[in-house]
Amino acid sequence: MKGIKILERLLATIPVILGIAVIVFLFMRLTPGDPVDIMMGREGMVTEAEIEALREEFNLNEPLHVQLFIFFKGLFSGDLGNSITRGVPVIQLIKDTLPATIELAIGALLFALVIALPIGIISAVKQDSIFDRIAMAGSFLGISMPGFWLGIVLIIVFSVNLGWLPSQGRLSYLVYLERITGFHVIDAIVTGNIPALLNALKHLLLPSITLGASMAAIIARVMRSSMLEVLKQDYVMLARSKGLSKWLVVLRHCLKNAMMPTITVVGMQVGVLLGGNMIVESVFGWPGLGRLVVDAIFNRDYPLVQGVVMFYAFTFVMANFFVDVIYTYINPKIEM
Amino acid sequence: MKRQALFNVGVLLLVLLFILSACGSQKTTVDNDGGTIVIALSREIPTLDPANYRMRECENVIRNIFDGLVTKTHDGKIVPEIAESWEAISDTEWEFKIRKGVTFHNGDPLTADDVVFSFERIIIEGGMEGQTSPRKGLMGPTSGVYKVDDYTVRFTMDEPNPTFLHGVVHQQIIPKAYFEEVGPEGFLKQPIGAGPFKFVSGTLNDQIVLERYDDYYGGSPDIPPVGPPALKRVIFKVIPEPSSAIAALKSGEVNIISGVPADMVPNLEADPNVIVKTVQGTRVYMLEMNNKMPPFDNPKVRQAMNYAIDMDGILEAIYGGNATRLPGALMPYSFGANPNLKPYEYNPEKAKQLLKEAGVTKLQVVIDTEPKRQNVALAMAAMLQEIGIDAQVRNWEWGVLESEIKKGTRQMYMTEWGDSWLDPVGFLNPKFRTNDRANWSHYSNERVDELLTRAERIIDSKIREEIYHEVEEILYEEAPIVFGYTLMEVEASTANVENWQPSMDGRQNMHRVRITN
Repeated sequence: MKGIKILERLLATIPVILGIAVIVFLFMRLTPGDPVDIMMGREGMVTEAEIEALREEFNLNEPLHVQLFIFFKGLFSGDLGNSITRGVPVIQLIKDTLPATIELAIGALLFALVIALPIGIISAVKQDSIFDRIAMAGSFLGISMPGFWLGIVLIIVFSVNLGWLPSQGRLSYLVYLERITGFHVIDAIVTGNIPALLNALKHLLLPSITLGASMAAIIARVMRSSMLEVLKQDYVMLARSKGLSKWLVVLRHCLKNAMMPTITVVGMQVGVLLGGNMIVESVFGWPGLGRLVVDAIFNRDYPLVQGVVMFYAFTFVMANFFVDVIYTYINPKIEM
Repeated sequence: MKRQALFNVGVLLLVLLFILSACGSQKTTVDNDGGTIVIALSREIPTLDPANYRMRECENVIRNIFDGLVTKTHDGKIVPEIAESWEAISDTEWEFKIRKGVTFHNGDPLTADDVVFSFERIIIEGGMEGQTSPRKGLMGPTSGVYKVDDYTVRFTMDEPNPTFLHGVVHQQIIPKAYFEEVGPEGFLKQPIGAGPFKFVSGTLNDQIVLERYDDYYGGSPDIPPVGPPALKRVIFKVIPEPSSAIAALKSGEVNIISGVPADMVPNLEADPNVIVKTVQGTRVYMLEMNNKMPPFDNPKVRQAMNYAIDMDGILEAIYGGNATRLPGALMPYSFGANPNLKPYEYNPEKAKQLLKEAGVTKLQVVIDTEPKRQNVALAMAAMLQEIGIDAQVRNWEWGVLESEIKKGTRQMYMTEWGDSWLDPVGFLNPKFRTNDRANWSHYSNERVDELLTRAERIIDSKIREEIYHEVEEILYEEAPIVFGYTLMEVEASTANVENWQPSMDGRQNMHRVRITN
């Protein structure tokens, strides 16, 4: 029964994704600006014939509905077209940049969870203690700090002044690493390449902290308040009165129930991690998807923007879907 | 007990951080083999195919891997590179003698066949595997390229082309045999040229690693020293965010950055580990008016704008000594610039008088700009307010603004146009000929059209110069734009970089650069 319901939910995502495809297509076309004009730059000689030839090549002279048809035809056969500015298949560009973005997102997520969960739990258990107050003040700071600013500050402190950590890119230029999955950390582990692994982790540290900081702050607050809620329940008192130790009750009985809202937040933040990292990727010279799409938008690279936004939409819809499914397993009272 | 565990995790993380930070410093070091230099690229580049791009940053990388027939010195003089010599056989025919002993990175000798192949991809419509090269326009009316013998090549053109050599500077030679063997995709994976450095590895959106080509023929004999490159390795690293690039320079992660914002110069100059160098830029920045929209269809109003804005004052305040005001449309050191023009004086009274004569009593304008020039636009608006014009500034993204300007819906706008050839063909023609590519002021004057079209096809530089002088005079009188300024380009390097000189066209050739400890 549950299986069928999950399948139903899954099918329901299809119209959503198709709707997004149409909206992205139209919005890109309605945005003023001409890909060929931008591509030819603001200098030098260009002939009219040359500009026409390029428009022709990118199907820009076709009427809108024909362009839409071409886009959808490609979409259904799994072809997102070629990037206008780079002349390479969009799929290829996404494949090339996605591992970098996911690696950074996972780094940020791990940083956020490792910092935020213990802080949230301790703050709840020791409500109104000095630790609680400092932690909540800190999380307020984490939420309010713009990623751009935090990134630059970290670079100035750890790269420029202390010289401990690199500020740009994913790997130093002389470090050799065979590309298998595109995830540097995984590739380094698989090939047993310790220097590359350490180098990749070093590069990952500052961007992960920058991207994960606000998320850590949010998770810590949500964790704290839901844990406080759970601690007031009768069964907690019962467990305590049976003589179980405080931390055992917290970790064994309360944590699972208190995790629900946290999982919701993490699920929603996955979209933020993938889509909101453009700034972090720019500051740290991180060759990921966010930077690719920003560049594509400024260049009016229609196929590339469409492809990447479609990909984002798909990820977002799927993340929400999986959060819904996970709910039903953690708390059987909730139905699909 | 659990608290102990948490504490342990925290300690572990800290230890990990220290281990990570301890292993290997990022600073570039010099081995006895010439060392490695890292250059910051301000944006991702789309390709390493010398025929398929239109972007300065891209050319910077490409011209370290590929050489052309001719090149330019850092102050803009055209000198031989792969070509030994050249001559114009007639007004529409040029012949190049190719240097013997030039080899590609795979060891193949470079001959006339390679030159013909490379240029055919560019000048023939659909010549780039079915597509037309976006660099075709740079070659003007050049229509054919033929092999005379193994080391002689002849170009033919439909009409005389006075800027032919400028165009040749920007086209680099690729190996025909290798290209045909591996195909376009194989070539992009492992591009091979005859330049000082060979492509080793890298991705275009991250870092591109080049290594010295030991059998390099030495480069242009007119730009000493001639010989193999001093550096072992050149790395181009994409750093889109200017403040990150500056931080990376200060931490020694990169050695050269370009496009330094004017307000960061004092900060960098104060750093003993950084050297700041400037070179005269070739981009013109101006305030254009929509000549089709009243009241700017009246030359008196346009002149009034030129009188009303204290351009010298604005430039001094915002850029210090790093800006040069243009007396007319052209940069004073451009070919064809009229030496008799004096910049419009700052005279608000005269501006008011002219507006009165034009019958303009109440005027509301919006000056459109991109965020990077907002400060200049705001200063201009303030000056217009002083003569009673209600002037505002609005920020745009360029793609949107350009299409609005072309539609003719805007009034006044800050724009820029590059003129690295320092020749009016690439500047006056697109900007002031009726309906031409960058005629954003919608200016139209039959005499100017006729003169510009004529000068485009005359070889005799004396006659061309006279024609451009006349065009400049007309433009000065009719003032289709508020004549603007050009900026010094600021680049900076770490103190251990030697023999490095920014060039006027923004090109960064690492052939002659050294790095010391």
